[in-house]
Amino acid sequence: MRVLLVEDDPTLRAQLGASLREAGYAVDEADNGRDALHHGQTEALDAVVLDLGLPLLDGLSVLRRWREGGHTVPVLILTARDTWHEKVSGIDAGADDYLTKPFHMEELLARVRALIRRAQGLASPLLQCGALALDTRSSRVTLGGQPVNLTSHEFRLLAYLMHRPGSVVSRSELTEHLYAQDFDRDSNTIEVFVARLRRKLPPETIETVRGMGYRLVPVP
Amino acid sequence: MAPARAVEDPRRGALARWLSSLRLRLLAATLVALVVALLLAGGLLAGLFRDHVMRQFEATLTAQLDQLTARLEFDASGQPLLDAGTLTDPRWSRPFSGLYWQIDSGAAPRRAVLRSRSLWDSTLLAPDDILADGAVHAHEIAGPDGASMLLMERTIRRDDPAATPWRLLVAADLRETGAAAARFNGMLAASLAALLLLLCIAAVAQVAVGLAPLRTLQRALAAVREGRSARLEGRFPVEVQALTEDFNAVLERNAEVVARARTQAGNLAHAIKTPLAAMAQAAASALQRPATAAELAPLVHEQVEVARRHVDWHLARSRAAASLGLPGARTPVAPVIAGLLRVLERVHVGRSLALLCEPVDPAATFAGEAQDLQEMLGNLLDNACKWARREVHVSAMLFTDASGRRLRLCVDDDGPGIEVSRRDSVTTRGARLDESVPGSGLGLAIVSDLVGLYGGSLSLGVAPAGGLSAELILPAPAGQVDPAAPKARV
Repeated sequence: MRVLLVEDDPTLRAQLGASLREAGYAVDEADNGRDALHHGQTEALDAVVLDLGLPLLDGLSVLRRWREGGHTVPVLILTARDTWHEKVSGIDAGADDYLTKPFHMEELLARVRALIRRAQGLASPLLQCGALALDTRSSRVTLGGQPVNLTSHEFRLLAYLMHRPGSVVSRSELTEHLYAQDFDRDSNTIEVFVARLRRKLPPETIETVRGMGYRLVPVP
Repeated sequence: MAPARAVEDPRRGALARWLSSLRLRLLAATLVALVVALLLAGGLLAGLFRDHVMRQFEATLTAQLDQLTARLEFDASGQPLLDAGTLTDPRWSRPFSGLYWQIDSGAAPRRAVLRSRSLWDSTLLAPDDILADGAVHAHEIAGPDGASMLLMERTIRRDDPAATPWRLLVAADLRETGAAAARFNGMLAASLAALLLLLCIAAVAQVAVGLAPLRTLQRALAAVREGRSARLEGRFPVEVQALTEDFNAVLERNAEVVARARTQAGNLAHAIKTPLAAMAQAAASALQRPATAAELAPLVHEQVEVARRHVDWHLARSRAAASLGLPGARTPVAPVIAGLLRVLERVHVGRSLALLCEPVDPAATFAGEAQDLQEMLGNLLDNACKWARREVHVSAMLFTDASGRRLRLCVDDDGPGIEVSRRDSVTTRGARLDESVPGSGLGLAIVSDLVGLYGGSLSLGVAPAGGLSAELILPAPAGQVDPAAPKARV
């Protein structure tokens, strides 16, 4: 999952970026409103964490322009002002959730997880595909109740596929959503991780749709 | 475009300055009104005088015609005879004197039979006209020297109606009347100009006297701005006095707000210094005894939370204190509820929570700032949503009690509610900061404080669905329609 983090304070941005990466997200960063606007308009994102007080262009304006341009990426706004007036303005501008500073990192991660899940129409934090289950809260994967040990990259790939049950996901889409903008993308990497996942899961779990991509198939 | 603007700007600036000067506007309006009024009066007087002179002229000429008619005789052959010596006006006999008579044969061919000596060898060329016997007609004709003349004529017959008609003509030079009118107009213009001058002087004096209190007011304002005075001092006319009293009230309120803001800033600084001191002490201790460093993180965490609560609480208080008593603050309730529900529906989207709002009377208005109403209602709704199982109800209605118009806002949920013994502790001012449960107590504490500042009340009870019922009573603007009143009469 690829998240855009927009925060002008370098310390907080570094802390947030580290936590989001640790939680398995590919993180793009922006420190001003103008860069954020451009990034949101051009990149394939799964969620945005947007600070409201930004240089060059304020967060609410960025959000309004994204929404006017038809960009529906879920947005979590961060604000230092804990007034209901601000919250109403933020939600009316198109935000999906808000968090006031200071906040607990766990709460921010939980909100981002919920936003991404809801954007895919998934209500429960426990994603299931046949006997395969992924708990987004604990980042644990089980197969028929037995834990499956996955590396960080394998987990990210499986999580992305499990957020799109039944859909064919192309290799380029996986590359776009699993790696940050500054990562040296190589589509062969995806194939390597798919092969590794197939070794740890029933091989037919990840079906290759020739010429189109991969699809997660429920296994008994 | 830029040079054109550079040329236009000074003119526009001068015009703006001109229009912005009360004195110039008053004087210009007075001058325009005076000039228009005097021009109209002058035109009317000149017209009346000209009519009067003409009527007099015609009357004199008619009298001359009557005299001519009376002196006319006929010889045995029926030809008219007139003894010019019997006509008294010497101008009849002075050539081209400007006063002429002539007797024409009324039957064809028309010709001048007799004429005054003043006509010398010229004749009066009267237009063809058919008159009843004795009738008098007036014509304007060109005289012997080409000047415009007024001609009066009458047709007479000697005896019977079949006899030869004779036209008696009398004419006089109109230049006399023109000269009289010109003399009158000259005097009239001079008089009106003098009157205009006097009235303008009076207008300038009136404007100066009328605007004098504004200059006094300006000096008083300058004294306030420069800090020499705390309020507008001086005696003003009743029309300006009301303004100065209002302005003094605003100054006093401003001073109060500043004083309250200073107090709040002091309180906030004091409140934050305590957790800062605790963290500084812990950090120093960790530096001296690295073994205790592990205790630092939870302590910082806890103290940051304490500081955050202080900031939230003091911000809410200071905002309410600043907005309190703002004259005329009115906030319609329905849009505030709608905005808050939009936020909460979005935030609690995953919980299948029903946020139900009973139809709000469009006239329901809160006598205060929108942000304060959002803060009070937002915290109550947020609290209700956190604890509710399935439903949250919100309602708003107006009523009247002994202290005037009031607004009742109710937020009910179907959650676990609050035990009776704890209800007082979450709404009592003072000890709540330390006692409040994370995520809920502070919200209710802020609501309780804001409500208190507005002279309202917050009461907690049991909702019909078994959860917490929070009821806010707030002031409504005076004069607001009470929808309950007409219903009660019906």
